[in-house]
Amino acid sequence: MTAPQTSAVAAEAIAGQLAQRFGAANVISDPNGLPNYKVDGMRPAAAVTASSAEDIAELLRIAAKDRFAVIPCAGRTKLHVGAPPARYDLALDVSRMNKILGYEPRDLTLRVEPGIRFADLAATLARERQFLPLNPPFLQRATIGGILAADSVSPLRHAYGSARDFVLGMEFVSGNGTASKSGGRVVKNVSGYDLHKLLIGSLGTLAVITAANFKTFPMPPAQAVFVAAFASSAQALQFCRALANSPLQPNQVDALSPETAQLLKAETQNASALPDGKWSVVISAAGSERVVERHRRDISALAEQAKSASCDALGDTHESMQTAAALLGAIREFPALTLKFDPSAVIFRIAALPSAMDRLALELSSAAADNSIRFALLLRSYGFAYFALLPSNKSTSTPQAMAQIASRVFQTCAEVGAKASIESAPLELKRAVNVWGPARPDFALMRRVKTVVDPAGILSPGRFAGGI
Amino acid sequence: MNKSVVRQLEDLLGCDSVLSSPDELLLYEYDGSVDQARPDYVVFPRTTADVSSIARISEKFGVPIVGRGAGTGLSGGALTLQGGILVVFSRMNRILKIDAENRRAIVQPGVVNLDVTRAVEQYGLYFAPDPSSQKACTIGGNVAENAGGPHTLAYGVTTNHVTGLELVLPNGDVVRVGGETCETPGYDLTGLLVGSEGTLAIVTEVTLKLSRKPEAVKTLLAVFDVIDDAPETVADLTSRAITPAACEMLDGWTLRAVEAFVHAGFPLDSGAVLLIEVEGLREAVEDQAAQIEEVCKLHHAREVRVARDAAERDLLWKGRKNAFGAVGRLSPSYYVQDAVIPRTKLPQTLKKINEIGKRHGFEIGNIFHAGDGNLHPIILFDQRDAEQFKRAVTASGEIMRYCIECGGALTGEHGIGMEKNELMPLMFSDADLELMRRVREAFNPAGLLNPGKVFPLGKGCGEVRVPPKTAGVGAM
Repeated sequence: MTAPQTSAVAAEAIAGQLAQRFGAANVISDPNGLPNYKVDGMRPAAAVTASSAEDIAELLRIAAKDRFAVIPCAGRTKLHVGAPPARYDLALDVSRMNKILGYEPRDLTLRVEPGIRFADLAATLARERQFLPLNPPFLQRATIGGILAADSVSPLRHAYGSARDFVLGMEFVSGNGTASKSGGRVVKNVSGYDLHKLLIGSLGTLAVITAANFKTFPMPPAQAVFVAAFASSAQALQFCRALANSPLQPNQVDALSPETAQLLKAETQNASALPDGKWSVVISAAGSERVVERHRRDISALAEQAKSASCDALGDTHESMQTAAALLGAIREFPALTLKFDPSAVIFRIAALPSAMDRLALELSSAAADNSIRFALLLRSYGFAYFALLPSNKSTSTPQAMAQIASRVFQTCAEVGAKASIESAPLELKRAVNVWGPARPDFALMRRVKTVVDPAGILSPGRFAGGI
Repeated sequence: MNKSVVRQLEDLLGCDSVLSSPDELLLYEYDGSVDQARPDYVVFPRTTADVSSIARISEKFGVPIVGRGAGTGLSGGALTLQGGILVVFSRMNRILKIDAENRRAIVQPGVVNLDVTRAVEQYGLYFAPDPSSQKACTIGGNVAENAGGPHTLAYGVTTNHVTGLELVLPNGDVVRVGGETCETPGYDLTGLLVGSEGTLAIVTEVTLKLSRKPEAVKTLLAVFDVIDDAPETVADLTSRAITPAACEMLDGWTLRAVEAFVHAGFPLDSGAVLLIEVEGLREAVEDQAAQIEEVCKLHHAREVRVARDAAERDLLWKGRKNAFGAVGRLSPSYYVQDAVIPRTKLPQTLKKINEIGKRHGFEIGNIFHAGDGNLHPIILFDQRDAEQFKRAVTASGEIMRYCIECGGALTGEHGIGMEKNELMPLMFSDADLELMRRVREAFNPAGLLNPGKVFPLGKGCGEVRVPPKTAGVGAM
């Protein structure tokens, strides 16, 4: 099945029209310049670089009138997420909208444009000893707009919640080309509907984000990282539970399968602190020196009780802290490194209750092992899992076979009450299975929201859950 | 009142679950706000299926439908502005599931906020949002209004503690959004619904996130001779990135009113006090308390007292949480605002409020969530004096405008309701409101769910509407 592409003649006409309005320098229509904007193999007729919310509004008005399908982007690290688009005429590149519009360190509030790279923003905040706990994968290239639109997974969610907990408001242009906003710029506000919450994770199907307001957080003065090794997932998870039931307040608790450690070590030197052939639990704790010291004491005791093979504490020297930071970086980049390791990887993003983790880990491992496919598991103690199938070792893994395994994964997740979607997969698989998982009754409500916010259906059509 | 509607409601729910006589309805024309409006019918469903059938009757007869928990809301959210059916959730008050391991509870909307904590504290857990009315207010109302409380400074408002909802749509359809897991693929409809003030759907079941009780708690009372030093302290704490679990301010006038009523131990001769709570790991609490004490002293705190035990802590909080009851003893009526400002602007804003009060001939009390800049200026007035009442409303409007000019918000936790809907254009453009309206229509096409709330009705843009006869005795 191939989605219809814009015809060459129509493409030329569109590009001409856009060049006139936005300036030739801001419109790419030469096919040689467009591969960067490919989404699931589809190339747009043109890519327009916007400099302002007004540009975006005007472009979307034109698109709504002529029913051009538009996919917004900046760092282009999320274009592999979602179902293959139903149509794709224009790429809307907002990477030039990369300014900090307002930063009040004394108020711990921030307002930025969508195209700002997370890495650049983090550097600015670090100068004030503050940070945003988004820590997305693809950190060097990922931009705020994309991180929010894809609701990127952050390991720090354990302590800080997700974007929906610290985005204070947004400005955006909805599908009919109208600029609007919701929320505000203060840390507490219940005025009007929280439309910005709808945009978080909406994958550019409702509106194009033109500004986002955040609450920022103070950087803790001290940090330590712990790596405990276990013989099985059961032991590792038992340790995670003991930690959760203790008064300790770590900001990251990740359990990595032996295969995950192997994968990370194969792709980066930053993961050298991980043990070989064992499950590892990596914990980060931050706060005052005394708080960190308390974690050192209690975590090693808890690890011992949980029968860990080893428990190393990192961060007591500058060098050791660098090793720790590198390790956390490698774990954060799990999706990126997995795709580097195996471009045909199928990466599931799974939300599961902590009590379901044991069974989930066992059954997902079986689903892969039964088909002789390599896999990697990264479990986050707050109730999240990345599960990657790595089929490149098996030349016979046809899209049909992979689709069957994917269906089994979705079914396993449903059985344990987990919610799964496929974040990355080869195009053939994305055509064969719905990456958003089984249909749900609330999809009808979502479609109603889509219809009122993007009435012409021009924003990223087909990429989202519920056929949106 | 339409007799056919009564008959159908009675057939559905039984006669003991439907009120329609004027004397019975009278009880339901108030909530905690300054407004009043009488419903045509009051019903007490027991199940989601009941609510679904009630919605179908509402749709069939084109009668508005409004949900109500304990009626403690402060913005008129539970009032039937255009009459219709008031759905009272007092019989849907069961805790359906407690999952201590995963820190979730599934509750019906009529469950009282504090009862959730009481039911789960045996597992070392609690429900974080703690509005001052938490002994009475219900989870359904908390969800509708996105309720807050003193401890939202560290833990966020209701929306940060809800992962899923069961909804009844106006046509009677029952839909679940979100769930128990930390996220659900698709649009975050739960996030949209929480705080939508009953205008999108009727919530019949709520999945709550529970929090772990901290290992240690310390409550500090910082006493200041000069009122201006207290907001300076809060601004300084914020800029030093010290975030306590709660940071409340009471000015001298308010604390004297409270002390006369509650005897919480607030020093009567002080200009202002800050009630600050730090929670968490023992070491973190000790470190933070020491830092806070230092900053308070830097800003000339006369004394920083640490509550010795739980009893003293409870007493201080009792003083804070019953403040509005205390104020109610002083004046026939009062008007409370709920604006939010950037925290660095606290000192200048309090001066401005004082100046506005003086100009209109009022002493304005201030008791509020200082740590997150959520103000609650209280204007005392006598509603029987029409001229005085008008001045109170004008002063209140001026305060609100100033806060918005500072980059603030209309409401931090009370909701817009029918109290601040005409002020919405101060914060939102026509395009913003139009999009929100369209979203409302996607859920509530006939406009029968809580009509007249949230959106301006166009009765004079930016004017505070004149509230009817009685002022509320709310709590926040």
